[in-house]
Formats: sequence, C-alpha cells, structure tokens
Amino acid sequence: MLAFAEQAVNGLMMGSIYVFVALGMMLIYGVMHVLNFAHGALFMLGGYVAQTIFMRVFDNYLLAVAGAVLFLILIGALLERGVFAPLRGNLRNQVIASLGLVLVIQNTVVAVFGPNALQFPVQATRATVQLGPLSFAVQHLLIIAVGAACVAALFAFLHLTKLGTALRAVSQNPRGALVVGIDVEATHKLAFALSMALAAIGGALLGPLFLVFPQMGDLPLVKGLAGIVLGGMGSIPGAVLGGLAIGVIEATSTLVLPTDWKDVVVFCTIVVVLLLRPQGLFGLRTRDDHG
Amino acid sequence: MSKLHRRTFVATLAAGLAGAGGARAQGGTATLGILTALSGPLAAPGRFQMNGFNLARDELNEAGGIEVGGRRLRVELKVYDTRGNPAEGASSMQRLTTVDRVPVVLGELSSGVVPAVAPIAEENEVPFIMTVPTGPGLTKQRNRWVFRVNAHNDMLGKALADFVAQRDWKPIAFIAWNNDAGRGGVRGMQEALPQGFPIAYTGYFNVGEVDFSAHITNIRNSGAKAVMLFMDEEPGSLAISQIRAAGLPVQLIGTLAMGSDRFLARLDAQRLNGMVQYNAFPPNAPIPRIQAFSQRYRARFNEEAHGFAAQSYDGLMVAAAAIRAAGSLQGSRIRDALARIEHQGVTGLIKFDAEGQAHPPVYVTEWCADGKRSILYPAELAAGCGAG
Repeated sequence: MLAFAEQAVNGLMMGSIYVFVALGMMLIYGVMHVLNFAHGALFMLGGYVAQTIFMRVFDNYLLAVAGAVLFLILIGALLERGVFAPLRGNLRNQVIASLGLVLVIQNTVVAVFGPNALQFPVQATRATVQLGPLSFAVQHLLIIAVGAACVAALFAFLHLTKLGTALRAVSQNPRGALVVGIDVEATHKLAFALSMALAAIGGALLGPLFLVFPQMGDLPLVKGLAGIVLGGMGSIPGAVLGGLAIGVIEATSTLVLPTDWKDVVVFCTIVVVLLLRPQGLFGLRTRDDHG
Repeated sequence: MSKLHRRTFVATLAAGLAGAGGARAQGGTATLGILTALSGPLAAPGRFQMNGFNLARDELNEAGGIEVGGRRLRVELKVYDTRGNPAEGASSMQRLTTVDRVPVVLGELSSGVVPAVAPIAEENEVPFIMTVPTGPGLTKQRNRWVFRVNAHNDMLGKALADFVAQRDWKPIAFIAWNNDAGRGGVRGMQEALPQGFPIAYTGYFNVGEVDFSAHITNIRNSGAKAVMLFMDEEPGSLAISQIRAAGLPVQLIGTLAMGSDRFLARLDAQRLNGMVQYNAFPPNAPIPRIQAFSQRYRARFNEEAHGFAAQSYDGLMVAAAAIRAAGSLQGSRIRDALARIEHQGVTGLIKFDAEGQAHPPVYVTEWCADGKRSILYPAELAAGCGAG
C-alpha cells in the first residue's frame, strides 16, 4: 500500500508533466488542427532558457520560469508568423514543418549549449517533505501543484473570459467565428502563446528534478501525445485526464512488472481503450458538449 | 568511364594511397586510431579518455617518439567520435583500418559499440585495445585482435563482492543500465557473491532515462539494505539524489565513475557520505606510480586524475611499447608483441592473458563525511580519508 502511494505520487508528478505537453499541443490542434511535433523540443528549450537565466542572470527560480515563459512566447510568435501562418491551408506541410523544427531546435541547442546534460540546482526545491513514512523532494510536489493550478487557470480562461470563449469558438467553427466578428488570426496567435507558456513552465519545472539535456522533451512529447489519444483527440479535459492516467499507469505498473515494461503497459492500455472506444475516453462527447 | 580511363584511375588511386602510406613513414610519424565519444550521453567520460590518450601521446613525443627499426616516429592520433553508437563505431573503425590505415586502434567507451568494432579489427588485421568498456563478454569472442587493459565487470564485481560479503549488507538490490555493461555487471556480481547471498531486487533502466522513482519504491518494498548502482556519473548522480530525497535508508554502492571529485561536485559530501565504490585508480593512493601520474595529470588538465584517463594513458603506452617491441607498424606484428608484453603501467602491471584481457588491481574506496575518500580494499593497501 505504501509502495502504491509512493508510486501514485510519482505517477501524478510525471503525469502532470505529460499534461503540460498534451494541453499545449491540444490548444494548437484545437484552433489550427495541426499536431505540432516541435512541442517536445520547445519544452526542452524552456528548460534550457530557465536554466540559463537561473545560473547566469538572476539566481531566482521564479524569475527564471517567468523568463522562460516570455522567451518561449516570443519564439512561438516568430514560429507562428514565420512558419505556420505562411503554410496555412495546407495541414500536411504544417505537420512536416513542425517535424523539421524539431531538428532545427535540437541542433541549435546542441550548438549553443553543447551536447552534455546541464545541472539546474535549485536549492529551495531540493529540500524534502515528509509525508508519513515517505519523503519527496519539494520539486515533486511543486510540479503537481503548478500543474493543477495551470489546468484550473486554463479552464477558467477558456470558460469564463471573452478571449477564451473566442478561442473555443474558433476551434469549433472558424467560419462561424469569423461571421460573428472574432479575429481568427489573433486567436491563432493566442493559442500559440498559451501553448508556448505551458511548454516553458513544463520544461522549467522538470529541469531541476532531473537534468536539462537536448532530448529531455522527447519522452514527454510521446507520452503527451499518448495522453491526447487516450483522452480523446480535441478534448481538453481528455488531454488532462489522459496525461495523468499515463503517468499513474506507468508508475504503478512497475510495482508488479519489471520497470522496463512500463512503456509496454502504457501502450497496451491505449490499444485496449481505443478498441473499446475508438474516439478515446472523452473524444466525441466533450466536443458535442461544447458544440 | 572507358576501360582505359578506369585502369588509369585505379592506378592513380593506388599510387596515391601508396604515396600517402609512404609519406607517413618518411615523415616520421606513427598515426594511431582512437574511437571515443566526444558528443552524446557519453561525452563526459569521453573527455577523460581523450585526456589520457593526449597526455600519453605528448609524453611519448617529448621523449623523442617511438623507436621503430632504428627510426624515431612521432605519435599522432586520428580520433573519431562514435557517440556511443554501434553504427557510428563500425563506420569509424572501417575508416580507420581501410582509409586511414592505422596500425593500432584504441579506446571506445561503450560496451555496446565494441561488438560492432571488433570483427572489423579482425578482418583488417589491426589490433584493437579497449581502455574503458567493461562488458565481460567482449574479450571472450575468440578474436585474437582484441585486447583490454582495464578490468571488466566480473573482475570489478569479484573485488566488490569480496568486500560486500565481509559486511552485513544483505539483502542487496541492483539498479543497472539495460545494456551489456549494466546487465553484465549485475551478472558478474551475482556470480561473485557467496552462494545464497540474498538479492532483493534488480531493476534495469535505458540509457537516457532520468527517473528512478519506480526502482526506489521497489527497493523500499523489497527491504534491501544496500543498493548497487551500475551506471556512470550522470545517471549515478540522479539516482543518488533521488534515493536520498526519498529517504531510502540503504548503503550505496557505486562504480568507479562515482569515486571522483567531479562526482562530488555534482552532489555534495552529505549525500555521498558512507557510499563505497570500486575503483581501478584511486588518484590519491599512497603508491608512487599513481601519485606521479596524478601530479602530471593535474599539472596538465588542472583537475583530479580520473580512472578512465589512467587506463587510456596505459593503453596508449602499451601500444607504443608493442610497436617498439615489434619494430614495425604492421598490425600482425604489433598484435604478436601485445600478446607477449609485460608493461608496468600507472594502473598496475599490464600483461594480457590468452583472451587478451589484462588483470590490473581493483580497489574499493569509501566517501568520508568531509568529501574525501579512503581506501578500504584490498586490505594491504587500505588507507584513511584523503587517500582514495
């Protein structure tokens, strides 16, 4: 039972990281219908920017995270204008461009920061918290808490503000949204900015717990995508629950199976869920709710 | 291309290659091939390996080079980055043996790369001397062209198992790389521990994985008293910080990558205190040859000497000694010289057995509370904090 509790917390932590990636991809997919495969690389870039600010400029974790968010929003704006906007109307080319961006971003990072993993030692979050007989690094719990806060804030934004409503409107029917006077182009930029902010926070949160290295976004990208598929393509609640489920399933599976089987367990679960519910857990129904 | 043209082209190419070979001999240099990782996940240990090779090369050249058949040849290194990738390793080895046509190839870090490299050494009759890979099977392929100066996992495991068996650290658990080095290390330890020594948990992780939480939970669940970590610096530091953060009350046992000042800088004395690790080269040991090397290394690189550097230094020195003994830059003669050689290196006496494996001494060191290290094993070389 103790082991299950420990692994459930670990699973929620990794699951929160997958949620950051899944939500970021879902926001862009929602309005632009493009799966941005560069999201993992941007997540990694967030980690690097936060690490650089923390180690060389401010020595303040909060400012480092904020700096990473701002930097990535800027990069996102450039990518949206320079890469995705010119290819609008051709989904296939946008997906291929996002795959190309992975190479560009990863190799630029290797060229600038070198191929070795960098340490991101945030002393404040290195302390441990005792929960009964178990103990966790503060960073663990911070990731879960910030993940929950970001999800809550995103839901509030999408459902309680005009801008959020506009974003949802564009994702459901771009032409209809245009007719009622919503600036579709601006919504694309907004979705990109939100997505970049989530990637930056995710990367900046994971860096101090592990290390910052050029491939650090690869696994979260694959697992985030798996979370999206599990939760149902196009559904924001699906992306949240899917990401968390993937994290908890892979963590708890290691209690009964060898640890190197955890990916097998996760993907078998997805296969079974898709066989029973091809639209994913929340696929169509949530869309209908929105529509 | 017409037949005539093709013939002319082939003749020109052959002349060019012969010329290149001739120029090498006339110019008075012996170019030796090096495989290492300068980028990718093994880049950090790759730097230590290169430091060892570069130091040996410079010392050989300062002493006038290698004497071969009455001529003194300067030593040059032709270095390829395999990035710890078998395919890169194979193509680099192919290039070294057929295009660069070096008489000897040294190095490599990853036990996973060597099986791709060794057959090419045999095919082209070029001796290949490993200085870091620890997979035990690598010298058991009946390949006469493969040699290894460093101890492999079974040998390291034997020393550590002797030591662990003396303590009351049972049951023991393992976290290991999911490759030949990790799995071989665990197998070696299991065989070397006394019959019936309880093993509570064995977990493997893939290169590049950074989250050890599942292993930690399983180890807590298994009631293990000690955890042996078969991995290098980077995952080692992550595993230890996660084990300490989870408050797991276990004795930590590590590999030689975890007994250095560099490793201390990744963590801190508090988290390392009491951890033991096997070591092929305790840089502060009160042994004259080790202290002399450590001083020269520090003077050159301004950091503590590392085991991989010492082994690689010895590897290049053994290759030079074999070339000198063979009196030739011909691969087959160098191979025969290597098979007979007895060389007093900084890591110990290097003499290859019938499988091409040398048998240097193995140590066990322990981290003290002040961030220094002591030597605990072998008993006759035991020394207090600051000696390891």
